[in-house]
Amino acid sequence: MSFLRLDRVTYRYQGSKPVIDGVSWTINEGEFHCLVGKSGCGKTTLLKLAAGLLQPDEGDIYLQGEKVTKPSPSIGYVFQAPTLLEWKRVIDNVLLPISLKRKPTKEDYELAHDLLERVGLSAYRNHYPAQLSGGQQSRVAIARALIQQPALLFLDEPFAALDAITREELQDDLLALCRLQNTSVLFITHDIAEAVYLADRIAVMADGDIVYALDVHLPKPRALEMRYEPRFNELCFQVRQAMEGMRR
Amino acid sequence: MNRTSVYSLALLVLLLLGWELAARQMSELVLPAPSVVAATLFEGIKSGYFWPHIVRTSLEVLLGLSLGSGLGLIVGILMGEIECLRKLFFPYVVASQAVPKLALAPLFILWFGFGMTSKVIITALICFFPLLENTVTAIQYTDRNKLELFRVLGATRWQTLIHLKLPAGLPNIFAGFRVAVVLAVVGAVVGEFIGASEGLGAMIIASQGMMDTPLMFSVLLLLTLLGMVLYQIVHFFENRLVKPYKKETDK
Repeated sequence: MSFLRLDRVTYRYQGSKPVIDGVSWTINEGEFHCLVGKSGCGKTTLLKLAAGLLQPDEGDIYLQGEKVTKPSPSIGYVFQAPTLLEWKRVIDNVLLPISLKRKPTKEDYELAHDLLERVGLSAYRNHYPAQLSGGQQSRVAIARALIQQPALLFLDEPFAALDAITREELQDDLLALCRLQNTSVLFITHDIAEAVYLADRIAVMADGDIVYALDVHLPKPRALEMRYEPRFNELCFQVRQAMEGMRR
Repeated sequence: MNRTSVYSLALLVLLLLGWELAARQMSELVLPAPSVVAATLFEGIKSGYFWPHIVRTSLEVLLGLSLGSGLGLIVGILMGEIECLRKLFFPYVVASQAVPKLALAPLFILWFGFGMTSKVIITALICFFPLLENTVTAIQYTDRNKLELFRVLGATRWQTLIHLKLPAGLPNIFAGFRVAVVLAVVGAVVGEFIGASEGLGAMIIASQGMMDTPLMFSVLLLLTLLGMVLYQIVHFFENRLVKPYKKETDK
């Protein structure tokens, strides 16, 4: 069953040439999709359109069969930067989506503790964001996006600013958490290896359009060793060629 | 005590000594010695002579400050939030910034009389603008990513204001408040210069009339003290409210 469907979506900034040009794409329930492409190819714009933060000029977006006109309550969104509220403690940052709707209950606190424990930050729940490292802040941002147990999660290069080891740890954490809640994911990155490791399906973007799609058939759950297998490198090379090829 | 505060204290002692020596060479009418000023100050406080004036000026400062900065905050929030209001009023705000507010003091005395009202209004007017300007700026330039986050979370306009724009702008708003506190003392004192029978500003004018320079110096000291106490109170609240999350621990 199609979960999120983009139907010939076009978006332009004030009359100039389209940033997103007639993109169609479908994500099924529980699937993890990665969107790769170089800087400035319209990845973030497409993600914001899909999330309902921007309205398409042409075409439609459907989430669970309903047309998207504004951000739905059943999505989570992780930004490029962690965007934590510095004046709230870690636990309150995680609970922010709930506290905007109602007073958090005891169960909500338990869920937040649980999520923080899963991302390895239960000892930091009463710290302020400024006291955390960059990787820890990204973890809090992911926990915050998952607190409402969204059916669909959007991530916009959330690990771009982190070192390689931390990034790999967070990738595993993210996969585990999403599998647990059967979350569908649309993940943006410019890192090919990250896309191959995470995704069930990869879309390569160039100049506002999806130019290449690839199904990744690697065993699940993913493990560290896979990164060094020939099959993995082959897939990376395929994506790489697709990214190069669009230039010619 | 660390080294700089030792030096700082030594400098004070040196200054007082220099003042005392310089005062010996001059008439008491021009420059009274610190010992004379201290004696006058002590005497005035002990006999209760200063108290009504201190209370009066403090009251004017506090009332004017809360009235002016309260209004400045509210108008600042409205202008920051509602674009058409901002566009409508901003030219006038800029224009009224250029008016030297203290020059309006005689007018307010004419309108509101020699009592406390006129001084409170002058003080309030002076405190209004720093708060207004800083609040408008703080509300307007909230981090775009955070605003987008609140949109994704489906927050209402009111929630975005209360949970994001105001707390994020708090350091900026406090900076405006600190300016307002210092200006508030100036406003009240100048108001009293122009027409008042009670208050520390009125005492300065009176001591000028009586050629009582030691008295004038002790009132100046009292005013400095008042300003410093107010500043410290604001500083205390700022530390409590703003600092905990701004401080980065050493990694």
